[in-house]
Amino acid sequence: MNYAQLAAAALLAAAAGAAAAAPDAQALLAASDAIRNPGKPFSLTTTLVEYRNAKQVDSNTLTVYSKADPNSGQFRSLIRFVAPARDTNKLMLKNGNDLWFFDPSSKASIRLSPQQRLLGQAANGDVVTVNLSKDYKAQLAAEESVQDGDRQNRHCYKLALAAVSVDVTYDHIEMWLDAGNSRPVKARFYTASGQLLKTAYYRRYQAQLGVERPTETVIIDGLDPNWVTVMRFSDYAWREVPEAWLQRDYLPRFKPE
Amino acid sequence: MRLTLLLLIAAALPAWADDDAAALQLADKTEAAAPEPAGDWHIYAETALREARPRGAGLAAHGTRASLDARLDTSFAPGWRAVFADRLDLNRSDGTSGKDDVNTLKEAYLSWQVQPERIADLGRINARNGVAMGYNPTDYFRAGALRSVVSLDPASLRENRLGSAMLRGQQLWSGGSLTALYSPKLAEQPSSATFNPDWGATNRRARWQMALSQKVSDSLNPQWLLSGGEGQKPQLGMNLTGLVNDATVAYFEWSGGRAPSLAAQAQLRADDSAFRSRLASGLTYTTSNNISLTAEYEYNGAGMGGADWDALRRGSPLAYGLYRGLTSNLQDPATRQNLFLYAFWQDALVKHLDLTAMLRNDLADHSRLQWLEARYHWTRFDVALQTQLNTGAATSNYGAQAERRMWQAVARYFF
Repeated sequence: MNYAQLAAAALLAAAAGAAAAAPDAQALLAASDAIRNPGKPFSLTTTLVEYRNAKQVDSNTLTVYSKADPNSGQFRSLIRFVAPARDTNKLMLKNGNDLWFFDPSSKASIRLSPQQRLLGQAANGDVVTVNLSKDYKAQLAAEESVQDGDRQNRHCYKLALAAVSVDVTYDHIEMWLDAGNSRPVKARFYTASGQLLKTAYYRRYQAQLGVERPTETVIIDGLDPNWVTVMRFSDYAWREVPEAWLQRDYLPRFKPE
Repeated sequence: MRLTLLLLIAAALPAWADDDAAALQLADKTEAAAPEPAGDWHIYAETALREARPRGAGLAAHGTRASLDARLDTSFAPGWRAVFADRLDLNRSDGTSGKDDVNTLKEAYLSWQVQPERIADLGRINARNGVAMGYNPTDYFRAGALRSVVSLDPASLRENRLGSAMLRGQQLWSGGSLTALYSPKLAEQPSSATFNPDWGATNRRARWQMALSQKVSDSLNPQWLLSGGEGQKPQLGMNLTGLVNDATVAYFEWSGGRAPSLAAQAQLRADDSAFRSRLASGLTYTTSNNISLTAEYEYNGAGMGGADWDALRRGSPLAYGLYRGLTSNLQDPATRQNLFLYAFWQDALVKHLDLTAMLRNDLADHSRLQWLEARYHWTRFDVALQTQLNTGAATSNYGAQAERRMWQAVARYFF
């Protein structure tokens, strides 16, 4: 075998390796983030309907304003409670682990710990916009077929996500992305001890702000599968949020037009 | 062994899939109701029945209350906002003739957002500071602000109070803000007339305040305050919060400056101005089932220490009454050291049932105030049962109240 033949063989081997190479898990996760989350500051309405043993026990409506931090790439969110009437115009600000609750009646800004929940089953981290690829390291765990939110078999990449940032809601996550287009299909969220906290299905894909996005997330409790929350997203709109508004001192001022 | 494990997993898998399928079916049936936009008005009506049992022998006293609470927050032109908040309490008590009706004009102001980061306000504003829960030394505009006390829950005391008339300006930037306000003298004396706006309670002297916040790091954002006014040396204040871990928030609130003691302010002794500190610091821990527990230490350097407090309690009833009247009006602890414990359990055991418990413990005379509330809520309707127990010697901080045990049943409807 001469040098030319050797070089050709090496090139062929390299090409074959590239063709069979596993997809970049982190890039897949970033692509799925871009499907869930618009790339510019935006607002949307989130409606949460909570079920216990197949009976509706609660319903909340929130308006979420989100803007990514130019340095970290992670979203900061300002959440306004719309319904029920007792909670109207209460606010929550989430900027990493800096979490504040504001009640316009008492003018009290109260700092919350990540464990403090305001919305029944949903963690505060579930209702805000999160770029998972900024907080988690992804590894390709498998390529398999799973049932999606419409009970159809879908060919997926299964990613194993491990937290790299301390201020995250979940220690590790299993996430299934459609192998064809990186759409999030399903996720399981775990504690550090490996306990399943919740399962989520991403469904009802619709064109919103230029991209087909999931407009519904179905959350199933890890311990009690009869505890279910349906989160619906609507009224997507581009909405510029000045940087100075994303702080505690602006909460008493926040009044959407 | 491995086979057993595999069989167990295989048996569990269909159940898991069934659970998910049932949940997805529920989601299929969830109606796509168009979310209602939040209105500018926030109104509720409340009615309450009250029983108070006195210390020692004596008949229980009964009372009723009907209240209407309305808040309007509206943008009427680009950059302009109007806020109006008012509460009317109609009180009836057996054994007393006549009415005890109180209207509280909480807020009425206009706000002009000159630029997204620059805002000016004019009118009656509830300007509230402080990160602590039971006592807020930096809440300088709390003095004289309580006109009608319907509950001892700190959240209710913050909400149901008079704002002060002021001109306020705020400049914001990324991670910080500067606020300056001036509150003029408008009246000489407070008024108890039902519909009086009571400028005399909140604007009896001219006052000013400046507040500066600047984010130091992702987790640290202290607020510094400077406050002063007629007949008062400037007071410096600070508010700081931090995250101890995922479940615990720590907070620290301090105010200090040259000031006379409360005893001197009540004219029980000559001016004894000196540098005095007030502080409240504590921790809030949230359990995995969402019970929030707060423990707070409160120090009032202008309040009475143990020996002075004992002497006052044994001395002239007039002096005692003057002192208690002043501290109550200022919303300042009568004694130097107090402990405050607060527990809140949202969705306690059953969905929509919230339980709240509060304990105030005077570390000088060991008297206690205990308060419990169970509140159940539907979409627009709340019912609550509250009980309060005051224990301690007759002239102690919490034992001095005429009532030893109180019960209150409350029903509230949100429009």
